[in-house]
Amino acid sequence: MSDAFVLPEWAALAPALVLATTALLLFVYDSISPKSTNRAAIASIAAAGALVSLATAVWFILAGTGAEGVDAGYDLWFVVDEPGAGEGAISVFGGQLIVDQMALFFMVVVSVVTALVAISSYDYMAGHAYQAEYYSLLLLAATGMSTMAAANSLVTIFIALELASLPSYALVAILKDNRGSVEAGLKYFLIGALSSAIFVYGISLVYGATGHLQLESIAETIEAGGADAYGGILGLGILMLIGGFAFKTASVPFHFWAPEAYEGAPAPIAAFLSSASKAAGFVILFRVFTTAFPLEVTTDVIGLEWTHAFIILAIVTMTVGNFAAATQQNVKRMLAYSSVGHAGYAMIGLAGLTVDGGELVLGAAMMHLLVYGFMNTGAFLFVALAEYWGVGRTFEDYRGLASRAPIACAAVAVFMFSLAGIPPFGGFWSKYFLFLGSIEAAATNSAMLVVAAALVINSALSLYYYSRLVKAVWIDDPVTGFDRDFGGTPTGLYTAIVFAAIMTVVLLPGFGPVADVAIDAASAILV
Amino acid sequence: MSVGIEHYVILSLALFCIGLFGVLTRRNALMFLMSVELMLNAANINLIAFAFYHGNLTGQVFALFTMALAAAEVAVGLGIILVLYRNFRDVDVTVPSAMRW
Repeated sequence: MSDAFVLPEWAALAPALVLATTALLLFVYDSISPKSTNRAAIASIAAAGALVSLATAVWFILAGTGAEGVDAGYDLWFVVDEPGAGEGAISVFGGQLIVDQMALFFMVVVSVVTALVAISSYDYMAGHAYQAEYYSLLLLAATGMSTMAAANSLVTIFIALELASLPSYALVAILKDNRGSVEAGLKYFLIGALSSAIFVYGISLVYGATGHLQLESIAETIEAGGADAYGGILGLGILMLIGGFAFKTASVPFHFWAPEAYEGAPAPIAAFLSSASKAAGFVILFRVFTTAFPLEVTTDVIGLEWTHAFIILAIVTMTVGNFAAATQQNVKRMLAYSSVGHAGYAMIGLAGLTVDGGELVLGAAMMHLLVYGFMNTGAFLFVALAEYWGVGRTFEDYRGLASRAPIACAAVAVFMFSLAGIPPFGGFWSKYFLFLGSIEAAATNSAMLVVAAALVINSALSLYYYSRLVKAVWIDDPVTGFDRDFGGTPTGLYTAIVFAAIMTVVLLPGFGPVADVAIDAASAILV
Repeated sequence: MSVGIEHYVILSLALFCIGLFGVLTRRNALMFLMSVELMLNAANINLIAFAFYHGNLTGQVFALFTMALAAAEVAVGLGIILVLYRNFRDVDVTVPSAMRW
């Protein structure tokens, strides 16, 4: 083992630290030249920060940081193949934060989406007064989401969650003179404040039942029987925690903010919230329930399995999301409800856990969130492009766009078919693994058969409304007077859309390694 | 005579329910914010009482964090309510209703 290049333990948090530093850098830039109209410089700083964060996270994954068999804290540079060298996860600040493969996996998702949003915002936010503020809020929210991926105690989870939420409220309402944006910001904030109050009350009850806030200590207390007398309080606390997570992941019963917030928010922010924020919500959901409340011992204390709650939530969420999406006329609202539906798919990852298994289904949920990060961000950025050109908001208004923008419309076809889960694209593979995982879990819990059936039925239904958009842009006749010039081709938006489309396709041959990483990460936290 | 832990929990639960009731019935955005503050402080009572009960300081320290975060949340919330007033000339949360499904 060479110690030529040894990093301290906290360096494992580099992806989040880079994002935080970039946000502060933007503040410094803004305070030095507050009147600066050099939007290119500001947007490039933001995009560069997100890309550096992405590069560090990918490097750490490849170097095996936090993986099984790597000496904790050292050899971030060198891959050490020493099986049995100990638990790989690097825990920082007395176990308050933990960097393992799952944390890095979600840091990748967050930074990719942040980079795409930063690049596309360059065009979308042109002419807006608060450039540096916009980008630093974006990066602060991304820092929060990145920290959520690593949070390993209810304290850090709550702080990271608020760090992600507070800038998001401001970002949704950033078009201060636009009534839709303000309304969206208000609704997002009100529901967010309510759900975080419920969440923190849930934390206080879990603390009351166990006396700990650190996730492993909670599990140890429950295992040792320390919470046996407080089964009711613990159960109520867990239920309230689920409420908080449901808000962050936009799933039933706290999903109704999503269509409003996404419709009113600037489209890149809608992309950011629906992809990165949702993924970050899921990573803490996965970590809390796999680490702090091990299925078997928690069942003994609270009297019923928490997987049942997730089975119901998964089925209801995907059904509500897809049926509501099918009735929409507004493209952005359709995408918003579809994102609720996808939260239901990802929730299968927890519903399918069993006492001695579930790596496949949990890994599949993580893969789905990664693929979703590309295809959904791309879809929202296409809406951003349409808004940039001043095309209307409904399916009708999108008719015949392909004659004006064939490349973007080809990309949107990729996103839509991938979201629907049509075979040649990334979205098919993650849904396929989810389906396989559900079937596997059905061996011990027959309710999972219903979940698997709901997954298939909902995917089939979703093809209806996704293909409606593809039909509108490619097949329908253009709206009359449609061949007027929209005012140029925005480079940033196009770059982001094309990159997201390429990644959605490239994930097809690249799905093997992605699946390996995700399933490894899932089995590491299920130990 | 010491006060039992269950009294604290009942107090905090009552406070939480008052806050929740306010959230569900009040139409004024500022009253909504105050109700949310009640709910957050209900959690703080719990945290501090349980910290005393379990004999560790984790809960008390976390209560400090919660207060700071509640203040931050109010700051952002008031900013949003301010732009709400500028756009709609009202702080009634039911007035902005352009978006419905």
